[in-house]
Amino acid sequence: MIRTKQIIIVSLFFLGFQASAQLDELTPEEQAYRDSITALNLENEAIANSQEAYNSGIKSFQAKKFNEAIAHFSKSIQFDPNFTAAYYNKGIAENESEKYNDATKTFTQLIVLKPTYSKAFFQRGRSYQGLNDYLNAEKDYETSIKLDNENPKAYYNYGTLRFLQNDFDGAINYFTQSIKLDGTNPNSYNDRGSSYRMKGDYPKAIADYEEALKKNPNLAFVLNNIGTTKSKMKDYTGALAAFNRAISIDANFHLAYNNRGVVQMNQNRIDDAIKDFSKALEINSNYSPAATNLSGAYFKKKDYKKALEFGNKAVAMDKTNGSAFVNRGNAKEMLRDMIGACEDWSKAKELGSELGKNYYSSNCAN
Amino acid sequence: MKKYLLSTISIFSLFLTFSQNVEFKSANFKDDKDGLKQATDAIKSGDDYFTIANEAIFMVQSPGLNYELALKQYNVAQKFNPNNGELNYKIGVCYANSPYAQKSIQYLKKAYELDPTCDPFLNFYYGYALQLDGKFSEAIKSYEAFEEGYRKADNFNKFVSKRKKECSDAKAAMESPIRAWVDNVSELNSEFNDFAPSISTDGGEIIYTSDRPNGHTPNEAGSFDKDIYSSSLNNSKWDKPSSLKGGVNSTTDDVSNNISYDGTKLLLHRDVDGKSDIFESTLKGANWSTPEPLPFQISSKNANEVYAAYSEDGWSIYFGRDNDNRSNGFDIMYSSMQSKIQKNFMAAQMISSINSKFNEGPVYITIDGETMYIASEGSGSLGGYDIFVSKKAQGTWSKPENMGYPINTPYDDFFFSSTANGKYAYISSNRDGGQGGYDIYKVTFWGEPKPPELATEDYLLASIVNPIKDNSIEATVDVNKKSFTVFKGVTIDHITKKPVEAEIEITDNATGKLIETFTTNSATGKFIITLASGKNYGIAVKATGYLFHSENFDIPQGAADNLVNKVIELKNIAIGSTIALRNIFFDTGKSTLRSESNAELDRLVKLMKDVPGLKIEISGHTDNTGSASLNASLSQDRAQAVVNYVQSKGVAGNRMTAKGYGSSKPIATNNTSDGRQQNRRTEFEIKAN
Repeated sequence: MIRTKQIIIVSLFFLGFQASAQLDELTPEEQAYRDSITALNLENEAIANSQEAYNSGIKSFQAKKFNEAIAHFSKSIQFDPNFTAAYYNKGIAENESEKYNDATKTFTQLIVLKPTYSKAFFQRGRSYQGLNDYLNAEKDYETSIKLDNENPKAYYNYGTLRFLQNDFDGAINYFTQSIKLDGTNPNSYNDRGSSYRMKGDYPKAIADYEEALKKNPNLAFVLNNIGTTKSKMKDYTGALAAFNRAISIDANFHLAYNNRGVVQMNQNRIDDAIKDFSKALEINSNYSPAATNLSGAYFKKKDYKKALEFGNKAVAMDKTNGSAFVNRGNAKEMLRDMIGACEDWSKAKELGSELGKNYYSSNCAN
Repeated sequence: MKKYLLSTISIFSLFLTFSQNVEFKSANFKDDKDGLKQATDAIKSGDDYFTIANEAIFMVQSPGLNYELALKQYNVAQKFNPNNGELNYKIGVCYANSPYAQKSIQYLKKAYELDPTCDPFLNFYYGYALQLDGKFSEAIKSYEAFEEGYRKADNFNKFVSKRKKECSDAKAAMESPIRAWVDNVSELNSEFNDFAPSISTDGGEIIYTSDRPNGHTPNEAGSFDKDIYSSSLNNSKWDKPSSLKGGVNSTTDDVSNNISYDGTKLLLHRDVDGKSDIFESTLKGANWSTPEPLPFQISSKNANEVYAAYSEDGWSIYFGRDNDNRSNGFDIMYSSMQSKIQKNFMAAQMISSINSKFNEGPVYITIDGETMYIASEGSGSLGGYDIFVSKKAQGTWSKPENMGYPINTPYDDFFFSSTANGKYAYISSNRDGGQGGYDIYKVTFWGEPKPPELATEDYLLASIVNPIKDNSIEATVDVNKKSFTVFKGVTIDHITKKPVEAEIEITDNATGKLIETFTTNSATGKFIITLASGKNYGIAVKATGYLFHSENFDIPQGAADNLVNKVIELKNIAIGSTIALRNIFFDTGKSTLRSESNAELDRLVKLMKDVPGLKIEISGHTDNTGSASLNASLSQDRAQAVVNYVQSKGVAGNRMTAKGYGSSKPIATNNTSDGRQQNRRTEFEIKAN
């Protein structure tokens, strides 16, 4: 009995010795080695988690769940702050959901990690553009082009910015570059055409719009641009034809109806014009230009009550529509509300309407 | 109200179609001879004034108060007998030649109905009533009827021709009204005459003339003298008019003419010794100064000067002057200063291009000096005074053109004073629909037609409607879940537990790929490597003289302490190898195996069973203490005891031999207790394998 106990104790001691001997078996060097492997494992785990989150983000992005995608990419970055693809995709997702401020920050972080990544500059340019920060957008597009001068989209976007800042010559230059690199994009032709149009070079504008249509004949908005340009050239027949084509492509393109109505007005076909303006309003019940034009059309028909009615509608739809105030003022005058008319022309003048300014100064100022 | 009155009169007139003309004869008024006398006396008195007035009109001169005085008398008779054609005619004529022309219509129509032959001039005045009433075609017929019947070779035809032309002009004018509204300014008007408006340049102040009751003594006709009033515009409404402040208004007629563009001077006219002269007053603070007559070149002794106006440059005064010797009525003249300081006016000049055979005046020059508005009864009028406009071209004034309807009507429409921007003007008129007599009207010019502003919209930039999205993202990545485990171990002899240098090969059993090959430490038998976790590995161990060892083991995924420790025991099988069995114990001096030897003995049993070809010699050894022979036999017995044990465990006896060597083969010195301890041993030697 005693012997058994002793044996057990000895065995236990032996086992214990064996066990502690196992732990004790790690020399300091071995412990250090093991610690380094532990650290490596943690690092690999983090990278794996980052990659999994990244892939989930891509899935969400493809399902157009952009906020979800952003969350996944953020998580990916948390696990691996050097994962540049995650930054890139996060930024794109932020641009898609118009979180342009966040996107600029994301791309800035990416650029720190990858200072010569031209696409990062391009995308950050897009983000700044979304914020209407044209200055910074242009800087980024320039850098992007310096790093990669074969990206037609960078030239295109830069051209757009130049256009928005009324530098039409600059815009033409960049759109031309974009076209050289990618001659299949109808947008570049359209926008260059619009740049020529803003410079008053209508034939060149028409030529470019036609090119855009060759690339894609189903762009109703290009036909609309042709229509209004031909109107400016007083080619009303051509203008009408263009609007008709635009409408045949897109029967709900309210702009084309409205613009066609204006040509009808210029040709003194008031009733036809009213039909077109009414159609535009039917398609888009909040379309202030159509209501404005109906006010003008009824004014010409001397139906001042209807002119006032549509003037009121047009103003209610858009309080910054100077033309609406002009036309409503005209109606008010003929309905013997001179005070109301002067208020409206004054407001039109404030909003930049030359006609409003003229009517106010010749009818209201003493 | 007036329309209602007219309707009532019309109905009444219809009723009167069946009325008869009642002469002022005693046969008709047997019961009221006194009344009849009073009435006929009144008519006679009235006739005196009536005749004077008619003569003056014929001479295109002012009838003065004569029609009013005649009317006063006629009304007495009319009250007595309203159904006399001639009396109605005369009353009609009085009103027709007064500011209250509208009132003439009912009387003239009644006269015509009662007695169309009561006066040779009835057709003329009846035509006028029709003209005022807008019945132009009928009026022309009436005028033509008058022409048929009027055979006198005098100048009167000029009036008839004029009236006929007025009718056709009025018809055409009303069919093409001009772009203006004409509204009665009720705040300024009264049932009396309110006229001669003069508006300040900014349109905020108005000065005009009225013969409304003013607290003075009325004249013999019961009318008050004309005074000048002013009013200010407040929130688009005129304040209640008040008498002009200062020393302007007197107890005689004071008629406003024109306020200067800077608002500091006022031209007016008033009677001096029976003739009308132009005066000027100056604004000092809030009060107008006592008016001073303009020099004789303007305010002459022998003629009447009325309705003056400043030229735009302040160098000239325009005004109306009549001439007793001519029958052209008032004509427009102007006189210019040589020096503005001395105010030395030159002799007045007539402007022949704008004057007619009938009355002209008042006149108004626009602030730019390019346009003159002039009232005239002359050719081109639609009836009475009309307002005409003349433009300056190459230093001369153009032929005045009628401003058209609704500014002009068959009634008197005159005076014209406009705001600086030309949008509004104030005129006077005694047209139907006013408050009575002359009233102030506001003209609102529509201006040029106002084209509406048409709005178009384009998507000039494609990115608005067709955005190019460069939203391609980076591709997915393969997730590499790598984790490593430290694989540590030692190769030792199965029996002696001593380290053995061995060659190890590690294979990934899933792929069959050789992962690692290494040799364990020769001194310690230790090894330490890293293997990817989550796999099953095969380990093959080779050591010279030792049995080949292989096994498989798992390196689990995510082991908490990422460490796997393996002790690999190798079985010695080299021939001639001698292995000491250090854990075999005997009772002292005996060959009885103690139970604590079993573990070692069992390991020997395992070795024998694992290596079936192994043949061994088990030897017993002692130290050198005691008898040599005893030591030899003891050692032999002990060796045999071991053989017996192993054999008892199933190992064939022919594989083992027992040999006792006594103290003949020491492995250590017998001079120390340690050495002797070491010499006391049991061993086995590999004989065959």
